[in-house]
Amino acid sequence: MKRSTVKVDDDTGESLAKKQLQSKANSLLNAEKVDIKTLKGFVQLLKNTPDNMPAGEVMNTLEVIFKNLLKRKAIAGPERQGLKIQELYEETWLLLIEHLLVDSESSVAVKVCMQLIKVEAKHPIAPNKGWPTHRIRGMLETLINCDATPTTALANYGKYCKNLDVLEITLKQLKSLVPGEDFKDSPIKAMNFLSIVNLLDMGKSVLSTADYHVESAKRQTFNYELNRKRLNDLWVSIMAKGNEVDEKLHRQILVVLLERVINHLNDPIQLTDFLMDSLHQFDGPIALLALQGIFTLMQKQNITYPDVYEKLYNMLYPRMFHNKYKARLFYLADIFLTSTHLPENLVAAFVKRLARLALQSPTEDAVIMIQFVCNLLLRHTGLQKLIRASHAADELSDPYNPTETDPVKSEAMNSSLWEITLLQKHVVPEVANAARFINSSLPVMEFDLAPLLDRKECNIFDDELQSKAKQFALNYERPTNLALPKNQFVTKYWDLI
Amino acid sequence: MVAKGKKASADAVYAKKTSKSVNPFDNSTAQSSKRGNPFDVHVNKEKFKILGRICKHDRGMPGVSRAKALQKRAQTLGQQFAVKHKTNRFRDNRIGKHLSGDQLTESVMNARYLAEKMSQVRSNQKAEKFNLNDDELLTHRGQTLEEIEQYRDERSDDEELDDEALDADFTAAAHFGGEGDSAQDRQAAIDEMIVEQKRRKNEIAKEKDEVFDLTEKLDANYKLLLPLVAKATKDEQDAKPPPDAYDKLLKEMIFEPRGSVADKLINPDELAKQEAARLEKLENERLRRMRADGEEEEEASIAKPKHRSADDLDDGYFLAGEGDEGDDTLAYDLDGNLGTHLNGKKEAEAKGKENEDDDDEEGEEEEEEDSDEESDSEVDNLSDLKESESESEPEEAPKPSKKKAKKSADTIPASLDTSIPFTIKMPKTYEDFTELLSKHATAQKATIIERIIKCNHPKLEGVNRENVVKLYSFLLQYLKDLFEDASEQDIREHFQLLSKLMPHLYELTQLNPERMSNTLLEVIKEKYGEFRKNHKMYPSLDFLVYFKLVANLYSTSDFRHPVVTPCFIFMQHVLSRSRVRTRQEISMGLFLVTVLLEFVSQSKRLVPAIFNFLQGIVHMSIPKRDVEQLEITPPFERDGPLSKLLALPANTESTKLEPQKLQPADLVTQTITPDFKVRALDTSLLLIKEALQLVEEHVGACYLAQPFLRLLSRLPLDSYPEHVHQHHKEATELAEKLAAQKMKPLAPAEKKPKALRLLEPRFEAVYDDKRRPKMSKAKEERAKLLHKIKREKKGAIREIRRDTAFVQTLRLKQTLQSDKERHEKVKRIYQEASVQQGELNELARAKKKKKF
Repeated sequence: MKRSTVKVDDDTGESLAKKQLQSKANSLLNAEKVDIKTLKGFVQLLKNTPDNMPAGEVMNTLEVIFKNLLKRKAIAGPERQGLKIQELYEETWLLLIEHLLVDSESSVAVKVCMQLIKVEAKHPIAPNKGWPTHRIRGMLETLINCDATPTTALANYGKYCKNLDVLEITLKQLKSLVPGEDFKDSPIKAMNFLSIVNLLDMGKSVLSTADYHVESAKRQTFNYELNRKRLNDLWVSIMAKGNEVDEKLHRQILVVLLERVINHLNDPIQLTDFLMDSLHQFDGPIALLALQGIFTLMQKQNITYPDVYEKLYNMLYPRMFHNKYKARLFYLADIFLTSTHLPENLVAAFVKRLARLALQSPTEDAVIMIQFVCNLLLRHTGLQKLIRASHAADELSDPYNPTETDPVKSEAMNSSLWEITLLQKHVVPEVANAARFINSSLPVMEFDLAPLLDRKECNIFDDELQSKAKQFALNYERPTNLALPKNQFVTKYWDLI
Repeated sequence: MVAKGKKASADAVYAKKTSKSVNPFDNSTAQSSKRGNPFDVHVNKEKFKILGRICKHDRGMPGVSRAKALQKRAQTLGQQFAVKHKTNRFRDNRIGKHLSGDQLTESVMNARYLAEKMSQVRSNQKAEKFNLNDDELLTHRGQTLEEIEQYRDERSDDEELDDEALDADFTAAAHFGGEGDSAQDRQAAIDEMIVEQKRRKNEIAKEKDEVFDLTEKLDANYKLLLPLVAKATKDEQDAKPPPDAYDKLLKEMIFEPRGSVADKLINPDELAKQEAARLEKLENERLRRMRADGEEEEEASIAKPKHRSADDLDDGYFLAGEGDEGDDTLAYDLDGNLGTHLNGKKEAEAKGKENEDDDDEEGEEEEEEDSDEESDSEVDNLSDLKESESESEPEEAPKPSKKKAKKSADTIPASLDTSIPFTIKMPKTYEDFTELLSKHATAQKATIIERIIKCNHPKLEGVNRENVVKLYSFLLQYLKDLFEDASEQDIREHFQLLSKLMPHLYELTQLNPERMSNTLLEVIKEKYGEFRKNHKMYPSLDFLVYFKLVANLYSTSDFRHPVVTPCFIFMQHVLSRSRVRTRQEISMGLFLVTVLLEFVSQSKRLVPAIFNFLQGIVHMSIPKRDVEQLEITPPFERDGPLSKLLALPANTESTKLEPQKLQPADLVTQTITPDFKVRALDTSLLLIKEALQLVEEHVGACYLAQPFLRLLSRLPLDSYPEHVHQHHKEATELAEKLAAQKMKPLAPAEKKPKALRLLEPRFEAVYDDKRRPKMSKAKEERAKLLHKIKREKKGAIREIRRDTAFVQTLRLKQTLQSDKERHEKVKRIYQEASVQQGELNELARAKKKKKF
C-alpha cells in the first residue's frame, strides 16, 4: 500500500514537473529576446536529470525549443547571442547522442534527433547547407562504437532508414565508418556495424514507396545504380575484414548477406566460395543460412551444386528444433522439394526422416512435419506406396536405415509410414488429428505451411484453452490419497508420504 | 305442377310396386323391371368408344329423376315456403298434459325436456347435432339460474312480507256493502284504508332500514373482532400445560412414520450390482471420450466384415447394410466340431471382464473402508453401531499389510480431532484461512477442511455455492504457498497434507465441476504465463502439485479435455525446453514424467517428451570421453560437463546401496550425490519399462524403443548395485522385444465396393392430346381443380334456377287459387245482391200494385 501511494506521489510530481517544464519553455519562446540563462538551464537539466523527471520529457521540450529557434534563424546569428545559442545547440546534440545508448530513452532520443535534423535541413545553420549529414555521421559513430548492441536504438533508427534520403546518407557514411581493425579483433563493433547494415533495405517495396525524411531531398532523386555501387563497395570491405570470425558474427554476416545484400550484388557468383566454405565447415544455423544463399545462387545464377539434397537431408536432425532458424529450414526444404521431377527414393527418404523427427519433436513441429509429409505425398504420387501397400504384403521390420547419410541409399522406398500411425496416438489432439490424413483419401489441396511456421508451443496452449468444448469430465473414482485408484505411478516411484 | 310431380313420383313408386306385385315369381321380368319403363329411359349416344373410360351418363331416366327432385323440393323448399312469414309454432305439450301441481314430478319434467331437446335436434341442421358446447340456458320458472342467484337476498329469509292482499273483513265490508252504511261511509272507509295502508308500508320500510343498518354494523364489528378471536385461541393453545412424558410418547407413537413404500430394502448383492452397473456406464463413457471423433468409424471399417455368406467367393465383395449380428457363421473348427467359432473368444472376453470386476470390487472395498474410517473420526453417537456393521462384513481379499500399517497410523491422530470445533465458519479472507490452518498439525488440517466443507455444503444454503468455490481457490493458493518455499525438512509433510486433502479436493470439484475447473485452469494459465517468459528455467515446485491434482481429479484419458489437454502441452513444453542442470531439475523432470505416465496410463497415448527425457537421463548417466558424442535431443547437452551429470565416477563404490524410491527432498536440493545418481537412474529404468509397456500395443513402438537400446547398451553397470542391474536387464529386454517388432505395411482399409444401383424403370406419361397443352404437375392440378369448380358452379346455378322455378310455380298456384276464391266470392256477392235487388224490385212492384 505504502509503495503504491509513493508511486502516486511520483506520478503527480512527474506530471507537475512536466507542466512546469512546458510553461517555462513557453515563456522562453514567447519572450522577444531569448534568455540564454534559461536555455542553458534546460541543457543542464538534460545533462544531470533530476530524479523526478524523465529525460524523455526534457528532450521533448528541448526539441520544441530548438525547432522554434531554428525556424526563427536565431542560431548562428551575427550577434554574440546567436553564437551562444549555437554553442548550446551543439552541446545538446552531444547529450542527445549520449542518450541514444540508454536503452529506455533511446527511442525518444532517436526521434528528437531525426526531428531536429528535419528542421535543420530546412533552415540550415550558416556555414552548412542542405542536409546536415554530419549529424547522421555522429549518430552512426556512437552506435557503432557502443559496447553492447543497442537494440532499441537500432530498431528505431531502422524505421527512419525506410526513407530514401536517410538510407542514402547512411550508406554513404557507413563506407567511411567501416571498423579499422579486422572483425575478429573487435567483435562487438563489427556486430554493431553489421546490425546497421542490416537496417538498409533497398528492396522493391521501399524504393517504390519513395518516402523522404526531408522534403527538400526529393529534388535529388534516389539513384539506385549509384547506391548499389556503394553497397557493393561496402560488401567488399566487409568481406575483406570478415575472415576467421566467430560463429555469431559469421551468422550475422550471412544474415546481412541474405537479407540485404545478395539481391543487389553485381557479381554474386563470387560469393560461391564463401558460401561453400560456410556450408562445409559449419553445421547448424550457419550451414543452413549458407544453404539458403546457395539456393539463391542456384535460382539466379544457375550454378549447380550436386550434393545439395544430401546436405539438406543431413540438416534434419532432432537438435534443429531448438535453433532459431528452424522456420527457415522448413521453408527451404519445402522449396527444394517442390519439384515433381525429383527421384522418388530421394523424396521417400525425406518423408521417412521427417516422420521419424515428428516422433521426437515438440508439438508444433510435429504438426508442421506431418502436413509437410502429406504435401510431399501429394506432390509425388508414387510415394503413396508408403501408405498404400498391397494387402498381401508380409509383416516386416522397417527397412529404412536412419543412420545412412545418403538419402538415396536409405531404402526408404521399401518402407511404410508406420510413424504416422503411431502419431495418431499422440496426446495432443491437434497432432493426432493431423496424423489421421492417411486413413482416408488424401486431401486435394496441399496444406499451406506458412502460417504454421511461426507458431510456438504457447500458441497451441492458447488455442486449446479457447476451444469451446467445455465438458469438465471428472474422474469417477474418488482418490483417497495421493495415489490414483488404478495405475498409480507417482506413489510407486516416489517416496512422498 | 305439384300434381304432375306427385303423379310422376307416384308413377315411379307404382311402377316398382306393380313390377313386384304383378308377378313375384317371374325372375326374368324382375330384372328388366328394374329398368322400368323403356320409354322412360333416355340413352346418351357416344360418338367413340374410349377404352378404359368409365361413362356414368350413358343412360338415364329423366322422368324418374325429375320426379325425385320435385319430391325433394316439395319436402324442403315447399315446406319452407308454406311457413314463410309465419311466426307461430307448433308445440308439443302432450307429455303430462292432464297433470297439475304435485303430480308434475321431476320425471315428467325431464321427459318434457328430453322431448324438447329431441325436437330441437331434429329441426336443427345436422352440424349442430354434435355441437357439445351449446350455450342453452337452464331456467327455473322463467328465470335463469344466474339471475336467481344475483337477486337472492340472503339475509331476509324469514322476513317475508305479509301478503299485500286486503284482509277478508275489509273486502267483505268494502265489496259487499257491509252493514249497509251510506255511500259517505264507504268513501271514508276507503280513504281510511288507504291511509292505513300507507302508514303500514312506511313502518315496514323504516323497520327494514333499521334492521339493515344494524346488520351492517354487526358485520363490521364482527370483522374487527375476528383477529382478536384468532389470537385468543392461539394464546390458549400456547398456554396449554406442558405435555408429560406419557403424552409425548403417545404423540410420538401416533405420528411415527409407518415405513414409506418407496424405500425398498436392497440387499448387498443388488447394491453391488447397481454399483457395478454404474461404474461400467461411467467406464464406457470414459472410453467413448478417449477416442477421437472419427477414430471409431475408421476402426470399425478396418475391422472384419461382420457377415459372410456361405457361398462367399472371397472376392472382397460384401453385402452392404448388414445388421450387426455376431459372427455366428456355422463352421467346423479344427477338431471337427460343428459350432460357431466365436464362442471361445467370447468366453475369453467374459473372463477378462470378470477379472476387471474383481479389481473394481477391491477398489470399492478400499473405498468403503476409508469411508468407515471417516465416520470413526466423527465423534458420533452412532459410530459404534456403524463399526459393528462394518465388522460384520466379511473380508474377502486380504489387504496388503503395508497399507494396513499406514491406515493404523492414520487413525491415531483422528482421536486428536476432538479439540477441533465441529462447525467452522468459512474464513472471509485468505489470511484468516491460513491463520486457521497454521494453528493445527497436518492431520488436523485435513479434518478442518472436511468440516468446513460439511458446514458450507451448497445443499444447506445457496450462499455456500460461492463459499465452496472460495474455499477451493484458498486451498489452491495455500498449496502454492506451501510448495513454493518448501525446504528439505518440511516437503514430506507438505506432500502428506496434499495426500490428506486429495479426497476433499475431489469432493469440492464434484460440487461444481465447471467453476472449480475454471479456477484451477486460471491458476495453471497464470503458471504457464510465468513459464513462457523464460522457458529455459523450470517453474517453481508448486506447478508439479497442480498436475498431480489434475491427474487425480479429472478423467485424463479423454481425447480432448479443457483442463487436461493444456496441462499436457504445458508439461511437454517444460520437459522439452527447460534446462536440466541440478538435482532439483532432474527430479522435477522425473516427477513430471511420472505424472505424465499417470495421465496416459489408461488412454495409452504417445507423449514424445517422456521418451526424450528418459533418454536424456540415461544419456547423462553414461560417462563419456570428450571426443565421442552420442546424439541426444535437447534440452540435454551433447557434450560438456552437463552431459555426464549423473555418471558415476569410476572409483566410487555404490554397489551396496539399498533400492530406494525417489525422495521428496530431491525436489528441493541442488547438489547431486552418488546415492541420488543411483536412485535417479534406477527410477528412470523402471519408468522406461513402464513407458514402453504403455505403448507396447501400438504399431511403430519399435521407433520408441530403438533409441533406448543404443543408450542402455552403453551404460556401465559395474559400479551400480544389484537392483539396478535387475531393472536394467528388464528394461533392455522389453526394449529389445519392442525393437524387433514386425509391422504390416500400411494399407488403406478395404472398402466395400459399391453395389450397382438398381434403377426403377421410369415411365413418362406421354399424351398426344393436342387440345391441352403440357403443363407442370402443379399447374395441371390447378387446372383440374378449376375445371371442377366450374362444373360445380354450373350445377349449383342449375339447381338454383330450378329451385326458383319451383317456387314460382308454387307462387303462381297460390295466386290462381286466391283469384279463384275471390271470383267465387264476387260471384256470390253479385248473386246475393241481385237476389236482394229482385226482392226489392218485387216489393216495389207489389207496393205499386197496391197503390193502383
